[in-house]
Parts: sequence; structure tokens; C-alpha cells
Amino acid sequence: MKRERQLIEAEVKKKLGSFYLEADVSDEDFICLTGKNGSGKTTLLNLVGGVLTPDEGCIKLNSKEITNLPIERRGVSIVTPDSYIPHLDVDRHLIWGAKIRGLTVESDYVAEVKSSLGIGFDGKVSKLSLGMRERVSLATSLISRPELILVDEALSNIDNHRDFIDAFKSLATKAKVDVIFTTQYSADSSQASHHYQLESGKSTRLF
Amino acid sequence: MNWLRIISAVSLALLVIPVFLLLYEGFGPLREPVGYSLNVFRSIELTLISSAIAAVASVVLFTPLSYYFARNKNSIGETLSDIPASIPHPIIGVAILVLVSPLTPFGKFLISIGINFFDSVLGLIVALTIVSAPIYIKSMQPYFQSMNIAHENYALGLGASRFRTFMSVVIPNAGRGILSASLISMSRAMSEFGSISIVAYYVLQQPFYGISPAPVLIYQYYTYYGLGAAVTASAVMILVSIAMMIVLRVVKRYPHEI
Repeated sequence: MKRERQLIEAEVKKKLGSFYLEADVSDEDFICLTGKNGSGKTTLLNLVGGVLTPDEGCIKLNSKEITNLPIERRGVSIVTPDSYIPHLDVDRHLIWGAKIRGLTVESDYVAEVKSSLGIGFDGKVSKLSLGMRERVSLATSLISRPELILVDEALSNIDNHRDFIDAFKSLATKAKVDVIFTTQYSADSSQASHHYQLESGKSTRLF
Repeated sequence: MNWLRIISAVSLALLVIPVFLLLYEGFGPLREPVGYSLNVFRSIELTLISSAIAAVASVVLFTPLSYYFARNKNSIGETLSDIPASIPHPIIGVAILVLVSPLTPFGKFLISIGINFFDSVLGLIVALTIVSAPIYIKSMQPYFQSMNIAHENYALGLGASRFRTFMSVVIPNAGRGILSASLISMSRAMSEFGSISIVAYYVLQQPFYGISPAPVLIYQYYTYYGLGAAVTASAVMILVSIAMMIVLRVVKRYPHEI
């Protein structure tokens, strides 16, 4: 179900040492960000997620300016390969974010997410393999219903990641959660609604 | 690398020879029964209990500060937090006495509600906390810095407040660091002499009425009974300290069990 709005608008500039990022991303749904190592993908996601503050420009989410809001008040969840809460077991982890936001989570919905994203395992999250942890982290973000999920290279380590992206996109669309994901594989962009490419800190919209 | 091994062995010998010499002399040629009298064990008991409480106070009061220093650059704050460890400790004792004396509004208030720091267990614990807290902060700061900030950013992105993130994500994963740093801090408190010789030369409260903390008692024995009693009491105290160090090594060796 398409929304009649442009959810994410980010027009930002940031200098980090000798690296200069000048990016403009204005789209919605499932956005793919590609680029080589050091092209500025992580920097852009950190700016949108609130980990970094832009030197210039502004970031809007659903027409609301979030440029200077702290991470916890943006409604934006950042998922990297290290994004997890180590001491929790899988089931507690999955509903942790939703509990924080005060959401009531139906056990059927959790079961659906687990089944769709291939989470048929249990145990302490810190003891899981990287790919299993990433499945749990992404599912946790989805169940917590933020407005936007930023996925920084957290899809690449998952087995059959293209099938996983399809399943994740389907769940995100159903939950009305928009996603920006980074990948080094340009082929992954075929599963996205929009594709941006970053090269030496400059962004280009490909579709 | 042989030269490094030789220099290291000499350096280590400089540190441990006096300790083992004390153990040998204390339980051997210089042994004096007064050095392992009931008074000595009561004194060690007071030192262990007050140092443990000071370590717990450091955990409760200074864990947030060390986390703040780990996540925010604040050289002025870090320098200020080092002051109690970097000045002669009798000054800390004098400062506590002035602070709680009728000379200050705070002291007048404490006196009005019947709280006394002088020659009391409370005064002893406060002095031990002040002198050992900088060690705790300095031990916890690198531990927090080594923790992956992505966990915290993830929790914040899920909507958790800074406080919730600290309590629900940082602290549950810092158990080993807190235990290790608090044991280091407790070891430091156990060896304190300067400040407590002014604030609590002896304690005038039950159940430790008339008992001095162990470092003060060893000094008293040296001045009253001579070298033999001081060396024997020191040897007993060293055994307790070695037991503490063994616990600390065990804690560090099994990081994932805590």
C-alpha cells in the first residue's frame, strides 16, 4: 500500500577528515544505497539516524524535521552487523523495542515475522552467528514499528539474502515501515523501490 | 628479547621481594603473638567491611560518571576526578574534617541531624570511597570505551531513553568490568592510611568500638611494640591482600561467566 507522501528527505553535507559527503535522498518505501567502500553510505545513514550531525542541510521524516533530534526521538532504527542487545535471548530481544515504545505485540505477529525471516532458533543473541543475529536485529526493529529502518550492510551476511530481502520488504511494506539499506552488490537494487548510488561522497538517484 | 626479560625479572623482584620478606619474617624469625591477636583480626575485619562498602559506594555513585567520561570527551572533568588520587591523602582527611565541621553549613546540618564522621565507621567509609573512587573510575572508563557503541545506538534507535539504555543495555553487559574495577578499588581502599589516620584513627562505634583500621593498627604496633609486632600483623594483612588478588585474577580469567 503506497502512501501519498514522500517519507524521507535528506539533503546533507558533512566533512569527516578529508572525506566530504554531499548527499540528497528524497524517496519512500524500500530504498537501496550502493557504493564502494568509503563512498559515504555509512556516513549518510549515521546522519539520518542521528549518530552524526550534518554540517549543513536538513533531514525530514514524513515532513517533520529531525535534523537535530536525538537518536531516541527520531523514530528511526539503525541496524548494523553489531546492532543487538547481547544479554537477551531471542524471544525477549524480538519484543524489546516494541515494549520500549509501549506497543502491544500480538504473539501471532511475532510468529509470522519469525517464520518469514527464518528465525527458527533460540538462545542468547550474543552467542548466535552473525547472520542469525542480523535476522533477529532486523526482526526486532520491524516489530518495534519505527517510521524508518536504516540497514547498514546487515543483509549481506544472511544466507540466501535475496530471498531474505524479499521477505523483509514484504513485512516492512505491510507494517508501513520504510527502509533504506546499503549493499555492495548492485544486483540487490533490483529488489528495491528506489536506487541511489554514492561515489566519493556524492549521491546519484538511478531510479 | 633476553635483555627485556632480565630487566622485567629485576623490576618484578623489586616489587615482590619486600612482600615475601615480610611474610617470611612475620611468620618466622620476627613473629610476635600480638601480631596475630584478636585485635588484629578485628582490625582486618573492619578494613575488609569498610573497604567493601566503599567499593559498593563507588559502583553506585561513580559508574555513571565513568560511563560519561568513556562516551564524552571531558578533559577538565577527568582531571578533577583524579584530584583525590593525586594529592597527599592526609589532605583528604583534613578536607573531610573541615567539610563536616561546624565551620560549614553542610557540617552544621550533619551535626543537627546527629551524623558524625569523626572516629566513626561512616567517616572511615567516606574517606575510603573518596580515595578509591578515582581508581574505580579510571578502571571502568576503558572498559566502557571497549564496549561496542552500536549496541547503545541500536537501543536508542528502538526508542529507549539514554537512562533506559544505560540501565538495560550497558550495565547488564558490564558486570565483569564492574566486578573487576570494584575489586581493584577495594584493594586500594584496604591499603589506605593517610586520610583514615586523620578521620578514623580508631572507631568509637559498636561493633568495632576501639578498633583501628588495619593500616593504622600496623603503624600503632610499630610505634608501641616495635618491628616484630608490626611485621607479623603486616604478614597477616598481606595474606588477606593476596587472597583478594587471587579472586581478581579468577574474575579476569573467566570473563564470560559473569
